[in-house]
Amino acid sequence: MGFNTEDIALIRELQRDIYLDSNPLQRVADSLGWSLDRVIDRVKELKAAGVIRRFGAALTPANAGFKTNAMIVWDMEGAEGFSIGEIMASHPRVSHCYIRPSFEGFQFTLYTMTHADSEEELQTIINDLSIKSGLKRYRILRTLKELKKTSPVYFG
Amino acid sequence: MDSIDREILNIIQSDFPISTEPYSEVGRKVGLSGDEVLIRVKRLLRDGVIRKVGPFFDAVKMGHKSTLCAVDVPVEKITQIADMIAAYPEITHNYLREGTPNLWFTVIAPTEERIGEILARISEDGGVGPIYNLPAKKMFKVKVDLKIVGA
Repeated sequence: MGFNTEDIALIRELQRDIYLDSNPLQRVADSLGWSLDRVIDRVKELKAAGVIRRFGAALTPANAGFKTNAMIVWDMEGAEGFSIGEIMASHPRVSHCYIRPSFEGFQFTLYTMTHADSEEELQTIINDLSIKSGLKRYRILRTLKELKKTSPVYFG
Repeated sequence: MDSIDREILNIIQSDFPISTEPYSEVGRKVGLSGDEVLIRVKRLLRDGVIRKVGPFFDAVKMGHKSTLCAVDVPVEKITQIADMIAAYPEITHNYLREGTPNLWFTVIAPTEERIGEILARISEDGGVGPIYNLPAKKMFKVKVDLKIVGA
């Protein structure tokens, strides 16, 4: 998707820290000199096009009751990736699911990020995923520390 | 957090209204005024339950390249490398994890060349490596919308 200068100006304004206002998009409209309806319509279009993949609140899982957050990496053992990826992704406690290249000493290529309330629940999720996908070899990479979590800045 | 907080969180994670008065709209669903919802959202943000409210752009549709990188860093160098990483706006996430490699971070930049440049700089200046660059071959899901139970 190519962006014209008006979209770029809109995207810049949308990235400002304005969402704790009762009418945040009015502030965007005021800054751009657009009508509020025009802002709302264009934001909805960007969302429908998937340019905005989500609009709303992001949580810090550890502070929202998800005490055990872990990246589980799976050895696909030559299995067909697409159906297994879809199966893993359909689990409600899997937030991210990707196939990535293997590297030296690390044969795991299917990555699933999971969020659990407890260690017991994590084990249940892993068992579910293993049974549904048929994959047996995995490694649990629990989050020990979140060192950085920010959002990228576009057209900064 | 009470049950109304959880209800609000479940709504505003995926269904934040793109409208004139989003918090009033959420309030109508949970039986509060817009101001009351906003007060709760501000508290949840202050307590660190909410990290951010706003739009999340698709890096690829924005014409950017994104990748996950892994590097094994000796324990005594973690702080130094984390500080270097913190200085790059292109590096958005960085986690210390169990196992080897232990440091996992994501890079989003306009070009692959820029990603390569950042990785080379961290490797040289930090004296760590190899840094494994693991761009997704196939993406199945990115949905950081966590259904909170007990609402």
